[in-house]
Amino acid sequence: MNRFSLVRLPTLDSARERVAAEPEHRTFRAGGIDLLDRMKEGLDAPDELVELAAISGDEGRRMRGISQRDDGGWRLGALVTLGQIANFDELPSGYAAVRSAASHAATPGIRNAATAGGNLLQRPRCWYYRNEDLLCLKKGGYECLAVTGDHRYHAVLGGGPSFIVHPSSLGSALVALGASVTIAGPDGLRSLPIEELFAPPTVDPTKEHTLAAGEVLVSIELPPPLAGQRSAYQFAKEKQSHDWPLAEASVRCTVEGGRMREVRVALGHVAPIPWRSTEAERALEGQAPSTELFATAAAAALAPAKPLEGNAYKVPLAQGVLRYALHDATGIARPD
Amino acid sequence: MPKTEITVGFADQLTTAAVELPAGEATPWDGKSELGTVGKPIPRIDGHLKVSGRAKYTFDIQRPGMLYAAVLRSPLPAATVESIDLSPAESMPGVKAAIAVAKPGDAVLFAGQDIAAVAATRPELARAAAAAIAVKYARKPHVTRAESAARPGAPLVHAGEVQERATEGDEPGAGGGGAQQGNVRALRPMNKGNVDAGLRGATVHEASYSTQVQTHAALETHGIVVSWDDDEHLTAWASTQGIFSVRDELAEVFGLKPANVRVHTEFIGGGFGAKFGASAPGSRLGTIAGKLARKTRAPVKLMCTRHEEHVCTGNRPDAHQQVRIAGKKDGSLTAIDVRSLGTAGIGTGAGIGRNAFAIYTKCPNIAVNASDVFTNGGPGTAMRAPGHPQGAFALELAIDELSTKLGVDPLELRLKNDEHPVRQWQFEQGAKRFDWNAKRAESAAMRAKSTRIRRGYGVAASIWGDFGRAKAAVATCSVLRDGTVEIRNGVQDIGGGILTVLAQIGAEVFGRPLETISIKYGDSDHGSSVGSGGSQTTSSVTPAVRNACEAAKTQFIAHAADLLGGTAESVTWEKDGTLRSGGKSMTFGQVCKKIEGESITATASRPRTYGAHPMSFVGAPLPQIAGVQFAEVEVDTWTGVVRAKHVLAMHDCGRIMNRLTTRSQVNGGVILGTSYALMEQRIMDHDVGRMLNPNLESYKICGAADVPNIDVVLTDVFTGANNTGAAGIGEPSTIPTAAALACAVFDAVGEPVRRLPMTPNRVLTAMGLTSNTRTSG
Repeated sequence: MNRFSLVRLPTLDSARERVAAEPEHRTFRAGGIDLLDRMKEGLDAPDELVELAAISGDEGRRMRGISQRDDGGWRLGALVTLGQIANFDELPSGYAAVRSAASHAATPGIRNAATAGGNLLQRPRCWYYRNEDLLCLKKGGYECLAVTGDHRYHAVLGGGPSFIVHPSSLGSALVALGASVTIAGPDGLRSLPIEELFAPPTVDPTKEHTLAAGEVLVSIELPPPLAGQRSAYQFAKEKQSHDWPLAEASVRCTVEGGRMREVRVALGHVAPIPWRSTEAERALEGQAPSTELFATAAAAALAPAKPLEGNAYKVPLAQGVLRYALHDATGIARPD
Repeated sequence: MPKTEITVGFADQLTTAAVELPAGEATPWDGKSELGTVGKPIPRIDGHLKVSGRAKYTFDIQRPGMLYAAVLRSPLPAATVESIDLSPAESMPGVKAAIAVAKPGDAVLFAGQDIAAVAATRPELARAAAAAIAVKYARKPHVTRAESAARPGAPLVHAGEVQERATEGDEPGAGGGGAQQGNVRALRPMNKGNVDAGLRGATVHEASYSTQVQTHAALETHGIVVSWDDDEHLTAWASTQGIFSVRDELAEVFGLKPANVRVHTEFIGGGFGAKFGASAPGSRLGTIAGKLARKTRAPVKLMCTRHEEHVCTGNRPDAHQQVRIAGKKDGSLTAIDVRSLGTAGIGTGAGIGRNAFAIYTKCPNIAVNASDVFTNGGPGTAMRAPGHPQGAFALELAIDELSTKLGVDPLELRLKNDEHPVRQWQFEQGAKRFDWNAKRAESAAMRAKSTRIRRGYGVAASIWGDFGRAKAAVATCSVLRDGTVEIRNGVQDIGGGILTVLAQIGAEVFGRPLETISIKYGDSDHGSSVGSGGSQTTSSVTPAVRNACEAAKTQFIAHAADLLGGTAESVTWEKDGTLRSGGKSMTFGQVCKKIEGESITATASRPRTYGAHPMSFVGAPLPQIAGVQFAEVEVDTWTGVVRAKHVLAMHDCGRIMNRLTTRSQVNGGVILGTSYALMEQRIMDHDVGRMLNPNLESYKICGAADVPNIDVVLTDVFTGANNTGAAGIGEPSTIPTAAALACAVFDAVGEPVRRLPMTPNRVLTAMGLTSNTRTSG
């Protein structure tokens, strides 16, 4: 781990400008969970960490709080911890997916320090990327070593040229909930649908997001819940304590007159970005929820999957996870 | 020599036996002895130190002026070292010394091999300096997969004959290798009867079973602190399972008298077979720390990083076993034939234990042939019951597959072919406690209905020997003037709780409260002792301690008789410690105060094992330790996730010294076995020849949520083997867990998962739900 300075600046603009001036050598620190790991693993060596927690006043409060918006939606500050989200009982039940995703990530200790913004912007867990001695596509090399190597945890959807899976658990939940993000840049604040925050590897395999250097993720905006909105998040892991999911699924919908409406489906840990499945949404929209329908929709969601040689198991596994999320979201009992 | 009659056996199967006791040997505690302290569930006496953080592990040792060492390791799996330039490191901040460990021309055999080392004032400075050392390598082709290395034409890992590296972690009597051809070295075969004859006319099941490489992954990594007292004397603090093996290696390496090397191990943060000697199996830690300490004239601490702990400090070898097993409709097994290839990397010992050969002994025809395959991986070494969990997995799952073909209940099949009376009892009692028949009917009903969640039930057996060693442990007992009974022996407490048990022995012999017994341990100056390997610590050390205590007690009574004016025979010793002779009486404390000099002291050892009831170990006159585990799993057929729900562990460890610490050891064995069954595995990238998961994130170990409910049933078995009756439990308790879980998964889904660990990938594949074109996941 290199030597570095910790810089605490009181305003968002001063923090942003500090990093924007030398983005190669300076970076933001929020919870610091993944950042310090990368520094200790020899993957990143910034000279200066600009501490977002030092931002004070209204800007700081916005970034650290959970609040209701004027339009009835809710705002999650980028510095809110996963633990705060998991334990925030006032959040309407229609947003259950994001609370569930936050409560199942990592460990209690990490959840109490890791932030929502950091969760969305953390770097992938791929073991080729994480090995400081190996040069892969993510680090400016020429090939994704996972293709010919061991890719049991890698992408089955949307892969290529990099086959990482996006590590954020909040990601799939927020995509399903139709969230947007607020970003601070040189021209003030801008808003972006959350799906546009994530960048597929075809654009630039060294980046997983679309933020420009020095831009800061300020908050996550949840749209006002629909009347009767339900949502759910599900996952499967090899290990039940502290493990990364093999696949996750998040679902948002309403059920009116026995029909599913406003359905949004997103999968996690199966693709280089949180993966919205319009195929599953089409299969479900306007249909009466049932075990059989869910199986069909799950098959539709994974129909475009192109597994590598050694990770085909993620296809049935992700289908199973999505079926669970659909049962949970609609309240249809799981079959025996 | 006169014979002494003792009561041996277990439960309601007690009988008498006559034993010849050597001089100085205490009359064994037997099936009729009623003991006050020994056997009780007494919390470990150093527990408060551990939970309060006051226990000092090697990792915590600080010495004045101490430097920190770091080792530069080869990033390549096969190469020749061309040059090593230490100068970039030598000029870095805080660096006090840099040494080359390898020299130009040396062969690199695995990624992680020692190349050079540095001592600096801070660990991070040492690591940075080690990384700055410039090394030139000439790359060579490598092979890291056992199957590939066994093929003709594979890159040759070793240039010549390989010497077996044996440690106290190995199962006594299990070593020995045969011819070496290419990368393949045959291990000593086990044969009886004629397998081909046994296969003829019987129902045959044949399949191949694979187990993974598991790393020891102790919470405290390997490490040592070395301090030169002067040119001829050295003191070391080591995270070791064998204090005297560390002493002897350091003495040999540095040409010192063993008595001039003192080794301390007060606490150790886990050791599962890889912590013997001053070196780790794949890294000369003690030599490096000692050389750096000598060069800098300062104490040097060398603790492995987590990455190093995974790649160069040993591992449980993998095994790829081809099993043929045959039986008849009446449930009799007629043949067991196992051929195995496994890799211990550059090391030896990829065997599969005694399970196939020595448990279902009514089967008349058995052949076990195993081979080591050398690969460019870190050396394997003994790991908690070397070979046995691998062998148990293949054998027990194959038995269940055969039982399905035969239409015989798998428990019935085991009862029919095993002949150990304790194991028979454990199978029968366990089946009742576990409600075997009803549970198996439930799982069959779930399978028939193809339910989403399935439950499954399995059972498997373990075999181990009471390898208690004669003469190796020398114990001293002193009764001090202040009334303390002090017991000294240089044993280390690997975590099983030996010092608590030794205090219980002292309390039992003297009838004194436990808190008046003082244990001096963890220091080579406290008298020779055994390494904690082979599940032999308790049965080696407790009889020596008891003999020392009994001898000191005899002297103490003679001393009391003098004070009371009677003969030793006339002295009575009451429960509250009052000693009487004639009309006179004195308290224990009063008698102690009158001791002349400092203490009454006696030193003793233990003789060879002199009994093997109720059944001996295969081919050796020592007791066989029996164990049986029943397991329940839940399988989610939508995701392939297996949850271990419940394990009933029925174990024998001779006379139980402490029911609480014994149960704790069994819990540990079951957890380790569950972790091995469901998640642990070293994952190599075979193209780059390196481990991909040398951490505790993607090298997965059971956390709290993954641990099954564990029901431990301990059976006292009176073996007549030694004077306390202690036998081992550490290893037997982990042998059958993965096998029982695999049998339970087979019962749940109706398809066998023949590869460990049983990840969702393997389960979904076994269920026919995936189309993986590569099977390595």
